[in-house]
Amino acid sequence: MLTRLAGGLIYDPAQGIDGEVRDLFIRDGQLVAPAPGEDPDHTYDLRGKLVMAGAIDLHTHIGGGKVNIARTMLPEDQRAHCRARTALTRTGGGQVVPSTFAAGYRYAEMGYTTAFEPAVLPMNARQAHMEMADTPMLDTGGYAMLGNDDLLLQLMSEGVGQEVINDYVAWTLKATQCIGIKVVNPGGINAFKFNARKLDVDERHPHYPLTPRDILRTLSRAVAELGVPHPLHVHASNLGIPGNQVSTLATIDAAEGLPIHLTHIQFHSYGAEGDRRFSSAAAVIAEAVNRRPNVTIDVGQVMFGQTVTVSGDTMRQYANHQHAHPRKWTCMDIECDAGCGVVPFRYRDQNFVNALQWAIGLELFLMVDDPWRVFLTTDHPNGAPFTSYPRLIRLLMDRGFRNDCLAQINPEAAALSNLGSLTREYSRNEIAIMTRAAPARILGLADRGHLAPGARADITVYHDLADPEQTFARPMLVFKGGELVVEEGAVTRVVRGRTQVVRPEFDPAIEGRIGRWFDRYHSIRLANFAITDTEMAAGIGSPVTIHPCNRRST
Amino acid sequence: MWTSDPAQTPGNLTCPFCGLACDDLSVAPGPADAGLVLVNGCQTARGAFAGAMAAGPGTALIKGQPVSLEAALAHAAGLLAAARAPLFGGLVTDVNGMRAVLELADRCGALLDHVGADALFRNLLVLQDGGWMTATLTEVRNRADLILILGREVPHRFPRLCERVLLPPEALFSPPGERRLVLLGPAEPGPLPAEFAAANPTLIPVALADLAGVGALLRGLIAGRPVRADAIPGVAGAQLKQLAGWLCGARYAVVTWAAGELAFPHAELTVQAFVELVRDLNRTTRAAALPLAGTLGDLTANQVCTWQTGYPLRSGRQQGRSCYEPLLYRHQDLLAQGQSDLLLWVQALPAANPAATPAAKCPTIVLGYPGLACGRVPEVFIPVGLPGIDHPGHWYRTDAVCPLPLGQVRDLGLASVAGVIGKLSERLGATAE
Repeated sequence: MLTRLAGGLIYDPAQGIDGEVRDLFIRDGQLVAPAPGEDPDHTYDLRGKLVMAGAIDLHTHIGGGKVNIARTMLPEDQRAHCRARTALTRTGGGQVVPSTFAAGYRYAEMGYTTAFEPAVLPMNARQAHMEMADTPMLDTGGYAMLGNDDLLLQLMSEGVGQEVINDYVAWTLKATQCIGIKVVNPGGINAFKFNARKLDVDERHPHYPLTPRDILRTLSRAVAELGVPHPLHVHASNLGIPGNQVSTLATIDAAEGLPIHLTHIQFHSYGAEGDRRFSSAAAVIAEAVNRRPNVTIDVGQVMFGQTVTVSGDTMRQYANHQHAHPRKWTCMDIECDAGCGVVPFRYRDQNFVNALQWAIGLELFLMVDDPWRVFLTTDHPNGAPFTSYPRLIRLLMDRGFRNDCLAQINPEAAALSNLGSLTREYSRNEIAIMTRAAPARILGLADRGHLAPGARADITVYHDLADPEQTFARPMLVFKGGELVVEEGAVTRVVRGRTQVVRPEFDPAIEGRIGRWFDRYHSIRLANFAITDTEMAAGIGSPVTIHPCNRRST
Repeated sequence: MWTSDPAQTPGNLTCPFCGLACDDLSVAPGPADAGLVLVNGCQTARGAFAGAMAAGPGTALIKGQPVSLEAALAHAAGLLAAARAPLFGGLVTDVNGMRAVLELADRCGALLDHVGADALFRNLLVLQDGGWMTATLTEVRNRADLILILGREVPHRFPRLCERVLLPPEALFSPPGERRLVLLGPAEPGPLPAEFAAANPTLIPVALADLAGVGALLRGLIAGRPVRADAIPGVAGAQLKQLAGWLCGARYAVVTWAAGELAFPHAELTVQAFVELVRDLNRTTRAAALPLAGTLGDLTANQVCTWQTGYPLRSGRQQGRSCYEPLLYRHQDLLAQGQSDLLLWVQALPAANPAATPAAKCPTIVLGYPGLACGRVPEVFIPVGLPGIDHPGHWYRTDAVCPLPLGQVRDLGLASVAGVIGKLSERLGATAE
C-alpha cells in the first residue's frame, strides 16, 4: 500500500530541507520515492501542517532498577497523574516516573518514536531491556555503564594493552545488548565504595593506581577504535558542585581530541563566584564546546516542580541526600559493577540555586552555536520529566516568553544570569536538528532522524500554531514504521518497538579472561550474564536491530 | 541461560527454589529410571527438584473432575468474565507469567497480592517510607568485613549464603578469613550450620521482638548519646557496646536479615531501625543493608507489577484505574472478609508454607504446578509448568538487581503461566467483542 502525505511543510535538516512544501510517500513501513505516475492508495492532506521525522530522545531514564526504585518510593506520582485504561491502552500513569506503558504512550503523544536509556548497569541490563520492551510505541536502546566496574579498573591497573580493553568494551556491548558506552563519575562510584567522598579528574583512586582522567582516556579511545558511532557518553565528575566547571573542562581534555559526549552538562557548568559562591559558568563551557568539534553535549535542563533524581552516581547522590524532597532517599552499591542513587527533589523557582540552574541550562542552549552538537534533554527525570519538553522548546524559540519567565524566578539568580541579554531564538529547523537529525547522526542510526527515501517511516505532523509549546505538545499525526499510531495527541494504535544495538567485533579470547573473573569473584555465571539475541526476542520481548560500526585501525 | 535445551546449561542452570537463585547447577540422569537429578546445589534445591521431577504432567480439572484443557479454559474464562471483584493471588511465577497476569488483571479489574507479600512488605514499606542503603550479593561477597545477621533462620532459609556470599573462597577487597560474623537473634532453635559455626560467629541472644529496641540502642551508642547499653532486659549491654565499636570500626559493615523470619506485627519498624543504623554508619565509614527475600518470586512479581503499573503489589485495577493500598489489599484479609467474588491463584512452584492454596469461600481458579495441594476443591484447576524446569524464564534473586535467566530441563507438554493466561485473555477478548 502506498500512502501519500501531501502538501506539508517539511523540516528535514539531514537533507537540508527547511520548511519546504513537499509530498512524502510511505510503503511497507518506509519512506519511498514512488515510480512516476503511481497512484497512492491513501492520501493525507497536510497543507499548512509541519512535518518532521519522529523525535529521538538520546538521554532519558525510562528503564532499569533505579527507575523501579523511584516508582516504589513515589506512589504519590501515580496518584497525582492517574491514567485510566482505555480500549487500546493499559492502566498506569505517573509523570516523574511513569509506568512503562504510560512512558511509551506519552512519548508517542509528543511525537517521539525512539528513546535511549543512558545508564544500563551491565548486571541490570536484562531488567532495563524488559522495562523498555514493556514501553510501547518506541524503539529503544541503552548505554552500558563502564568505568566503575572492578574488572575494568583491575585490567587498567595491570597495564593491559588498549586492545584488551577494546575487546572488553566490545564484549560488554554484545553481552548487554547496548548501543553505546557511558561512564558515570569515572572511578567515583567505585571510590565511594572505599569511602571516598570526592574524586577529582586528576585525583588518584583510593584503591587502584588510576585517575578519572585515565579512565576517560582509555574508554574514549576504546569507543573510537571500535568504531562505535556514539562517542563515549560521559557523566562527568563533581556533579552539582559549585566550581565544577574546572573538572568539566578537564574531562573534555581527557578525551585528547577523540569524540566525547558530555551529558546533562548543565549540572557540570557551575562557577563558585558571588556572595553565595555559586554562579553560572555556562559561557566558559559553551565556549569550550564551540571551540572543540570533538565535543557534543546534552543539556539536562532543569524545569521547576517536583521530580526525582535517579543516577548511577552514588557518590554525588549520597552527598545530596539532605536535599531530598520528600525526605526519603536510596543508595545502592551494585555487584562490583556500579551503583545507583534515588533522591526525590523539588526544583523551586524562588530558590536561588534552582533558579540559577534553570538559567544556566538555557544559557548553554543559547550560547552553543552548533545545534548539531547540543541535544534537547532534561535528563528525565533528573532535571524535569520529559513531558516538559514542549515548554522547553518554547523557552528556546520565544524570547519574549523566556524573559517573562526570567522575571518570575529568584531575582538574585536572575541578576546573576546573562540570559536576559541573549537574543537568540531557535528556529523550527534548529529544533528539528536537535531533536531528530543530530541524535540519529550521533548514534549512528542511518535509518531514522530524516525523511529521505529508505528511512523508516517514523514521522510526526504538527499543527502550525503561534505557540510552539502547543505545537509540540500535541501532534496532529504520528506514524511509527509507517503505521498511524497517534491522532490529535492521542494514541490510536499501540505498537511495540525493537532494541537498537551495535556489535563491534572483538577477539573472543577475552571471554576466557572475563569468565575466570566471574568464577572467582561474582555471584552469577558468565553464561547467565550475557543476553542472547534469542533471549531478547523470545524472552525479553524486544528483538534487536543491529546498526553498523566503522572500526578504525589501531 | 534462556534456552529450552538442557544440553546448553551444564553448570549454568538457575535454581528458583530460594532467593539466592544459585545459577551454577547441573543435572544428570539419576539412578535407574529416576529421571534427571540435581548433582549439586543445596539440599533444599535437590529435594524440591526431585519432588518436581517425580510429578507427572497433571490434568485440568473442573470441580475436581478431569476435563480437557479447552473445557477448563472455557470455564475459567466464563468465571473471569462474570467476576466483579476478582483477586489474583499467589503470583508465584516468572517475569513473563507476571506480565500475562497483569494484562489479565487490567482486563478484569483485579486486585493483586503475592503469597509471600507479608514478608515482602516488611522491607518494601521501609524503602517506600524513607529509603535505604543496600548492597548486592557480589558487592557483599567481595567487600564486607563485618556481617551482622538479624534473627536465627538466615542460614536455613538461604542455605548457600555462607559459601557464595558471606564467606566465599576468595574475595577482592576483604579476606574471608578475617571477616567478623555477628548473629543478633534468638539462641534457639538448634545449632548453626557447620560453615557458619566454623567462622566462629559472635552470638548475641536477642528475642525477635526486642530487635527494634536493640537497633535503636545501637544507634544511640554509635551516635555517642547517653544511652544505657543494658536497657533491654536479657540483652548483654557489654556485647552491644562491643558491637557498636565493631560497626564503627568496620570498613564495610553489612546488616542482613530474612524478612520472612520477622513474622510479628509491625516488623517493618524493626527493619527500619537497622536500615537507619546503616545510614548512620555511612556518615563516617561505609556500610550497607542486605535484605534477604526473593523466595517464591515475591520480588519477581513485585518488580514487574511496579514497572508496568507504577505501583507495587497489593494494588488493584478496579474501574480501569490503578489503586494501591498496602494495608488493605492483603489477600488473606480480603478472602476472610469475603471482599472478593473470584480468586485466581497462580502458583507455578511449590511452597513449604503455606503448603496448600487458600480455602477461599469464593470460587477459585488455580493455575498450579502438577501436584499442588488445594485448600478447597477449586472450580477450575489448570496445571502449569515450573519455570526453570518446564520452560525458560526470568527470576529475580534477593537483591532485586539481577534478574537471572531460567533454563528448561524437560518437556512434559506443560504450558507456562504466560501461555495459559494468554489463552484466557484471548477468550475474554472474544467475549468482550
